[in-house]
Amino acid sequence: LYLNFAKDNKLASFLQAYDQHLNMILGDVEETVTTIEIDEETYEEIYKSTKRNIPMLFVRGDGVVLVAPPLRVG
Amino acid sequence: MEVSHSVKERTIAENSLVILLQGLCNRVTTVELRDESTASGRVTNVDAFMNVRLAEVTFMDRQGTLCHLDELFVTGRNVRYVHIPDDVDIRATIEQQLQAIHRVRYFGGRDKGRKEFPRTKH
Repeated sequence: LYLNFAKDNKLASFLQAYDQHLNMILGDVEETVTTIEIDEETYEEIYKSTKRNIPMLFVRGDGVVLVAPPLRVG
Repeated sequence: MEVSHSVKERTIAENSLVILLQGLCNRVTTVELRDESTASGRVTNVDAFMNVRLAEVTFMDRQGTLCHLDELFVTGRNVRYVHIPDDVDIRATIEQQLQAIHRVRYFGGRDKGRKEFPRTKH
């Protein structure tokens, strides 16, 4: 399951539980944080990505932007 | 097992996942805030609005500066994530919390005590 968060954070994990506010409990979470850095001289945009793994996480519904099934390759 | 004294908070908690966070009382966890700072400490209380009270806290702000605090209160709206310790059985914790609420609600037996949701009279 993929979740897209506010402020360019993505979470990929197994959804264990949810409620009507979209608070969720996720198992086996892989969080990807994407930041864009702008080079002062050349004004190029450099995309930086950091990943993090968390075994079990409770997420507040406020921050959830998008929930989607896993992308199928091919 | 601390159940809130307010009927409103009990019903909100009973019908949402906040009840799991309430079951994490007295456990050491990490709370990540909306602004990307983190607070690691022992949860002393969580209310129905997800306001969290922590004790013996290590607070790391966005810049990475560490700071040790005896107590910390985080407003529910500012919570982004709560790390759940590996040794927590989620289902059992939620069931225990619900049982605690039901015990409080049915205190005094069927015909005694204050009724939270009175049976309708036809």
